[in-house]
Amino acid sequence: MLGEGDSKTEPKAPGGRRTGGRGPERLGRRAGQRRRGEHDAAPRADFRGRRVPSARQAGAGPGRSARFSAPWRPTGAERPRRWPCGGGCSVGHCHPLVVQAAHEQNQVLNTNSRYLHDNIVDYAQRLSETLPEKLCVFYFLNSGSEANDLALRLARQYTGHWDVVVLDHAYHGHLSSLIDISPYKFRGLDGQKEWVHVAPLPDTYRGPYREDHPNPAVAYASEVKRVVSSVQEKGRKIAAFFAESLPSVGGQIIPPAGYFPEVAEHVRRAGGVFVADEIQVGFGRVGKHFWAFQLQGEDFVPDIVTMGKSIGNGHPVACVATTQAVARAFEATGVEYFNTFGGSPVSCAVGLAVLDVLEKEQLQAHAACVGSFLMELLGQQKAKHPIIGDIRGVGLFVGVDLIKDKATRTPATEEADYLVSRLKENYILLSTDGPGRNVLKFKPPMCFSLDNAQHVVAKLDAILTDMEEKMRSCETLRLQPEAALLSPPLEKMKHSTQIHYWDDGHDLQLTEEESH
Amino acid sequence: MCELYSKQDTLALRRKHIGPSCKVLYAADPIKIVRAQRQYMFDEKGERYLDCINNVAHVGHCHPEVVKAALKQMEVLNTNSRFLHDNIVEYAKRLAATLPEQLSVCYFTNSGAYHGHLSSLIEISPYKFRKGKDVKKEFVHVAPAPDIYRGKYRENHADPASAYADEVKKIIEEAQNRGRKIAAFIAESMQSCGGQIIPPAGYFQKVAEYVRGVGGVVIADEVQVGFGRVGKHFWSFQMHGKDFVPDIVTMGKPMGNGHPMACVVTTKEIAEAFSSSGMEYFNTYGGNPVSSAVGLAVLDVIENEDLQGNATRVGTYLTELLNRQKAKHTLIGDVRGVGLFVGIDLVKDRQKRTPATAEAQHVIYKMKENRVLLSADGPHRNVLKIKPPMCFTEEDAKFMVDQLDGVLTVLEEAIGAQTESVVPENTPCRTKGGPQERFGLETLGEEVKQKSLCS
Repeated sequence: MLGEGDSKTEPKAPGGRRTGGRGPERLGRRAGQRRRGEHDAAPRADFRGRRVPSARQAGAGPGRSARFSAPWRPTGAERPRRWPCGGGCSVGHCHPLVVQAAHEQNQVLNTNSRYLHDNIVDYAQRLSETLPEKLCVFYFLNSGSEANDLALRLARQYTGHWDVVVLDHAYHGHLSSLIDISPYKFRGLDGQKEWVHVAPLPDTYRGPYREDHPNPAVAYASEVKRVVSSVQEKGRKIAAFFAESLPSVGGQIIPPAGYFPEVAEHVRRAGGVFVADEIQVGFGRVGKHFWAFQLQGEDFVPDIVTMGKSIGNGHPVACVATTQAVARAFEATGVEYFNTFGGSPVSCAVGLAVLDVLEKEQLQAHAACVGSFLMELLGQQKAKHPIIGDIRGVGLFVGVDLIKDKATRTPATEEADYLVSRLKENYILLSTDGPGRNVLKFKPPMCFSLDNAQHVVAKLDAILTDMEEKMRSCETLRLQPEAALLSPPLEKMKHSTQIHYWDDGHDLQLTEEESH
Repeated sequence: MCELYSKQDTLALRRKHIGPSCKVLYAADPIKIVRAQRQYMFDEKGERYLDCINNVAHVGHCHPEVVKAALKQMEVLNTNSRFLHDNIVEYAKRLAATLPEQLSVCYFTNSGAYHGHLSSLIEISPYKFRKGKDVKKEFVHVAPAPDIYRGKYRENHADPASAYADEVKKIIEEAQNRGRKIAAFIAESMQSCGGQIIPPAGYFQKVAEYVRGVGGVVIADEVQVGFGRVGKHFWSFQMHGKDFVPDIVTMGKPMGNGHPMACVVTTKEIAEAFSSSGMEYFNTYGGNPVSSAVGLAVLDVIENEDLQGNATRVGTYLTELLNRQKAKHTLIGDVRGVGLFVGIDLVKDRQKRTPATAEAQHVIYKMKENRVLLSADGPHRNVLKIKPPMCFTEEDAKFMVDQLDGVLTVLEEAIGAQTESVVPENTPCRTKGGPQERFGLETLGEEVKQKSLCS
């Protein structure tokens, strides 16, 4: 009977993944029943691009398209000239296994979840195996924003409360309800609503409690406690604490270990729930664990987890995982939750394929390995280039914090912008974030290789070196006393608050502070 | 067909892992669908069902052209819209070409807006907030549905369009008297969850006048009903005349034939006002190359297969057949529709128009047994709604109506209703205890209501 001897009782591998070791019997399947597509596995490449032949490949049968019978290795035409360092294509753009899964299912059935279908239950089962046991109920949707919106509804329904505590500079989505809980957005729009309360970002580089503080986790958590208390004093009640497990838009922040468990305690004592937004960072990206919230300790379990972006390798999929208790409370409203496309057979097939690829290509371990290597290389760059104030990250979630001044840690916003455009000219796609838009953010597809890391850092080094040389030579010129000796462009430099450099036709504009 | 789990196990796993608020159709006896093609769905035993529900599979389940377009693009690139790409601009251009000129700016998203399941949309969806514990928010003002069959002003009213529009005017004035200002009037161009309601001609024009007169805009929600479903026009709002142009149109469901896509189209002025906030609008998946390729393929199929023409022809035929059924069966209070968007309003009593809720549920289950998939909606869940894939044929229409005829005949015999004429009000009930008790419909109604996904 389903449930007996199921994989929930199996010992967990590090990172929370249960090891079943029972093959197809795992997941409650009867012996002999196989996972959809298991026997059809296309030839795979490991993270180094080496071909890993499948059993099927040896005797590819009829009906198998030629395009899937060759090993997946970028050919000369496909080999990327550009090295992407950000995006939701977690296992690699256009991964053939994922494409194949979507295509096969598209040909057979793609309808809504009001009919029984194996894919949705199989997918839910597989996801549940990656999570702590009590997070076992799933809602499937299409976008991270939808997921966070539902999480908000679930929290409110379950607690009976209304207010939400969020972190400064957080971003949870673009829907009206989520702009309201995203300081990153609402500060530029309608402002903070009275039911929204903002706690300081647990940023140990730029926040109030830094790397020299004896216990920043507790200190930041106490800030949340303070916020919760002040909310209660106003006669209001907390429904939820919402946080990205690793705040991305806030600047690739790694909250200190122990922060979330402390916060959860304060929030739950006040009758609220803890919502972990894993939309940017889930699915093995952090290397050490499958979910970023697991970095906060084996015992820490959020009440609600939202997932998106990398979940479908580009296909619009998202998910909310929660407990039986929260789900039952939501059901008790009597209102149906229906999402036209959420949990469709194709979306679930895609989600399953992504899980398969993550597992077979060991992308989680790969992220740990390449991520460490990348951090190491960047650490060397930090020692070399004073513009690099901080390197922080875990797995393939890394931030490079650029500063104008080591003491003040002033964000080097314009420099970051310039650097990004120079990198683009070198066929490297990178973007910035953080309130100062000065943190280079790395969250590439998980197949990002050691070579890619080396290449990017080499380019970064070259451009930073070039920038520093230019700044030095410009500084020298600026200090020359006779204005008459100045050529027109330098004349312009002297009398304006901005200094322009010319380098391959790209202007770098410094701020007024820089020019003096 | 290769099944991973038996139907029983699938159901058990669903109860274990899927949010219980996510209901299945036919909760008392759910169907497991494993395959679909065109307007047909197949269960795990290979039984074929005629799908009269699924307007999302607009051009037909698993249409090969759409599947091919998705595959072709998935193999090449599927990323976000922050890079330039031809597909999104081509698609926007093609969509804009179907709309009045001023509606020219597109925002692509992933899912439509009853007006939707999001917090903000539940607040503006009486269908949802009335059912739940949520109360109506003070910024939401509800006008009567322009239902000329069951609403305040009916088919015998001299000018129901103006009468209903005046209700909107009244509401606007009341709001203004309280110092509030109207941002928008939002309505499905044809109300689906409201019971397949077709607003009377002239209604939207008048409403638009009143709303715009106080500085608001008109939003036409075409999520259920766009893309040629009404036959004569591409968009349902176009039924109301060339002089009616909404300020914002939302579309979804049928756009991608099952692929998650939706879109908002608006005027340059509104788009510019939005961007003047300085805040970027970014949607991770919206407008991605695969979605755009799929959208383009759907537009191509609608055109190449003349699905709009088909909707008109088959829709007219279907309505004709249903009207004959109406003459035959007193349970049918009203047949309304346009193109392949049709509703059959079941009533216990033609004079009073009492919704026949339990009967509707019974009919749906019986139709399922006869291999026809239908659903019921409306505030009283008594309107059988027909909005099938657009490749629905006249044979399908005939088949569906024949099955319905059979089911209604048996049902009416059982509840003692006469099939030829309306039973006069003062005729004593022929059966002891009343017709419903005799047929056990009350009991069935309760069973259906109480059984949930997780039972």
